[in-house]
Amino acid sequence: MKLSILITLLTVSSLGAIAQNNFSPYSQMGLGDIDQGFYNRTTGLGETGIAYRSNRYIINNNPASFSALTNQFFTMETSIRGTFVDYYGQPVDVASTQSGDITFRRLAMAIKAAKHWGTSIGLVPYATSNYEWNVPYYLQGSNQQVANHYYTGHGSVNKAYWANSVEFFNHLSLGVEAGYIFGDINQKDILQNGTTGATLTSTQNDIYLQNIYMTYGMQLYGHLGKHWDYALGGVYSQKSALLASPNKLVLDNDSAVLQNEQLPDGYIYLPNSFGAGLSITHNQHYTWVADYRYSNWNGVQRLNSYPGQDYNIISSERGSMGFEISKKKTFFNNRIELSYFQSGLYYSNSYLQINGKQIHDMGVSTGFGVNSLKTPLAYAITLTYGIKGTTQNDLIRENYFNLNIVINYGAIWFTKGRKFD
Amino acid sequence: MTIYNYLRKELLFFLSCFLMALFVLSGCQKQPDLQFGSTYTDDNTGANIVVVDTSTINVYTVYVDSTATAATGYQYVGTYNDQYLGTVSSRSYFQVAPPSALPVLDPRFDIYDSIGMILYFKRANPYYGDTTQTQTYVVNQVVDTLFQLAPFQRGWFSNSVLPLGPALGSTSVLIAPNIPYTSQGTGDTVRIRMDDNLGQTLFNMVYDKSDTVKQTGIFENWFNGLCISPGPGAPAGIIDGFKDSCVMRIYYRANAEISSESFIDFPLYNKSSQWNNVTVNRTGKAISNLILPTALAQIPPATISSAIGNIGYVQTIGGLNVKLTFPYLSSIALRRDYIGLLRATLTVRPVPGSFSQIWRLPPAVGIYATDLNNLIGAPLAAVGTAGAQTGSLVLDYFNPLNTAYTYDVTNFVKVQITNPSQTALQTGLMLSVPAPANTASFNRLMIADQTYPLSQQISLSVYYISLFPHQ
Repeated sequence: MKLSILITLLTVSSLGAIAQNNFSPYSQMGLGDIDQGFYNRTTGLGETGIAYRSNRYIINNNPASFSALTNQFFTMETSIRGTFVDYYGQPVDVASTQSGDITFRRLAMAIKAAKHWGTSIGLVPYATSNYEWNVPYYLQGSNQQVANHYYTGHGSVNKAYWANSVEFFNHLSLGVEAGYIFGDINQKDILQNGTTGATLTSTQNDIYLQNIYMTYGMQLYGHLGKHWDYALGGVYSQKSALLASPNKLVLDNDSAVLQNEQLPDGYIYLPNSFGAGLSITHNQHYTWVADYRYSNWNGVQRLNSYPGQDYNIISSERGSMGFEISKKKTFFNNRIELSYFQSGLYYSNSYLQINGKQIHDMGVSTGFGVNSLKTPLAYAITLTYGIKGTTQNDLIRENYFNLNIVINYGAIWFTKGRKFD
Repeated sequence: MTIYNYLRKELLFFLSCFLMALFVLSGCQKQPDLQFGSTYTDDNTGANIVVVDTSTINVYTVYVDSTATAATGYQYVGTYNDQYLGTVSSRSYFQVAPPSALPVLDPRFDIYDSIGMILYFKRANPYYGDTTQTQTYVVNQVVDTLFQLAPFQRGWFSNSVLPLGPALGSTSVLIAPNIPYTSQGTGDTVRIRMDDNLGQTLFNMVYDKSDTVKQTGIFENWFNGLCISPGPGAPAGIIDGFKDSCVMRIYYRANAEISSESFIDFPLYNKSSQWNNVTVNRTGKAISNLILPTALAQIPPATISSAIGNIGYVQTIGGLNVKLTFPYLSSIALRRDYIGLLRATLTVRPVPGSFSQIWRLPPAVGIYATDLNNLIGAPLAAVGTAGAQTGSLVLDYFNPLNTAYTYDVTNFVKVQITNPSQTALQTGLMLSVPAPANTASFNRLMIADQTYPLSQQISLSVYYISLFPHQ
């Protein structure tokens, strides 16, 4: 009973807080900032985990990974992230160049439901937007009277998923994730008096998105001699048409509704995406991982119509690698992990091309995790330093620092009355 | 591994703290200042504000034949030649009463000296015109009319006229109103020497203790009243507003052991029966084409500005107000992109060169609803306020084109822009000098109609919220 209350509480809180994120000037374009993070144990590895398997942590980088959970093991994870950004470039006012926030990022649960079947549900961000800026302009019909467009966008597209994976032949795991994408892209245009700042009128354009987005995964793993283990992974997300329901709400200066129009529905396509990964482990102590992901946005370019203008959506890719040292101890013939240390690096070309420049994102990460022996909890703290964008071509570069905290709860279920203490 | 199948208290405590920290810290967000994004935003997805300041405004001058100029507190006397209105004159009718206590006179010792009218021009008294000109004032007695005695009591208006007898006296004087100073060297007082025959007659009545001077009613029926008028001939250039506390004074010498000057005052009686008769000679001016009433009871006639020099005339004490109509206002609401009215502003500009520090503008001009009856209706309030508007005059003598009255007419336009009534074309706004200046001030406003250049004409700026369908 207490557990169900806790889960409900976490879910509600995550829905409320997941929409908040850091100021991101590029999030006004496309679907917003598509989140590259998984906010789990692989965050310290530069989010490298297509071939990663864990018997305790929820590795939703690849839906095939859940079969690696310990039998009858129930696990729940939640993540919080603090982000601090310095902005550089010609559009940045030198008097105010920083931002920071702390947001809830993820809630996920998984269980090893049967000997070879792992399943997981969760709520994760897919894309977020958060921006504000002012554009002074002359009122139409006047060459003297100035007003101000105050544009804001604060929205998020999230994914609720249910993933299952099944192990075959002790060396192959296949997984499938049914993700339900939902949320909205919104932009509010508040027209203000150029002198007093009083609101003259406002327009809120919302595009509500929803549909299923399927992801398939595979992991092939085994031993290489006496001291080495390997894993190969692959993921594939199938192109999906999100139902896009635009709505336009216009208010006057007294906030009275002038127009609330439901515009004709359309579709925004998410592209075919695939990724491949490799993991090599030595003596269950040292692990090297590497990933590559590619999203074919070029393939849906002609199908999609995005908000805004003067930018391009092009195919994106991401490469990353990481290294992990795991400290384990043997209890009653079982090797129990006590702690681990990770480091990683990554480089990505995002799906945005602005002023002829594709927006790059690169960085390094390091993480440290502890599994409590006296409580059912485990903790992971990850630090990431990255650079996104460029100051060339009148663009903005963001130097960001992320602090990610993952809390994991684990317990054995279906014990048929036996209690352990 | 230690295995639990229930939640421990420590876990619940930890998660509670985590959630609290989450909500507290997530409010710590701050934002940088970036001028980025306007290039990438489609300007046509949101509502915009469109200004329409080319709406046609019909300017009419509405003439009412009289205004209630009684009991204004001032006796307006004078005349001036206005470049736009013609020759404007005002004279004051009033009554005087015998003293409440008659002095005891002895013809052996007390000798009549003279009689005169004493007028007071205090600081801040109103005036209009050229203060460097000398003005002649003439006193006449009202004759052949029962003066405010029952059953002939009535209200007095600016067009009320009573016949006058021969002049009893006159004087020419120059008044510097802001000091104040008169050329008679008597400070703020203007004295008019009157006919000694009248003075001797009244002096004798006082000596005789005649019922005529003992009983006010008999006195008024006999004396009727007085009228102070500007002198004949070319207009001098100014109308002065004297306080209505004037007196008619008989001077005599009281010869006792020591001879002394004494006087008997006949003060102004019944202030409500004092009124100012205003007349205008418009000959030779464009306003001479003004349509005048032809019957006692009729709708005040309105004359389109094109017939009277492309000007709208506001001088409410002279019966002139301006009515504005907006015949094509509804066409704005019919635009494809119109979805709502934001505000509307009326800017009234005086004809360039029509005002100066001599020919002063009314500091306040009210705006009122009006309809096909051309009457002044309820004051038009600005959005969010309940009070009447007076134009918020911006007066700039150095850059006269900056001079303007401005009104928030949103409440009017909001109704009128979609007014389906057949009388909508006659529904409009009236500009009029508000009380008390409407009957106590000669300041006038010449409104430039839309034949004047854009920067000099009356204009209506309609700000509407624009959104093209399916943007």
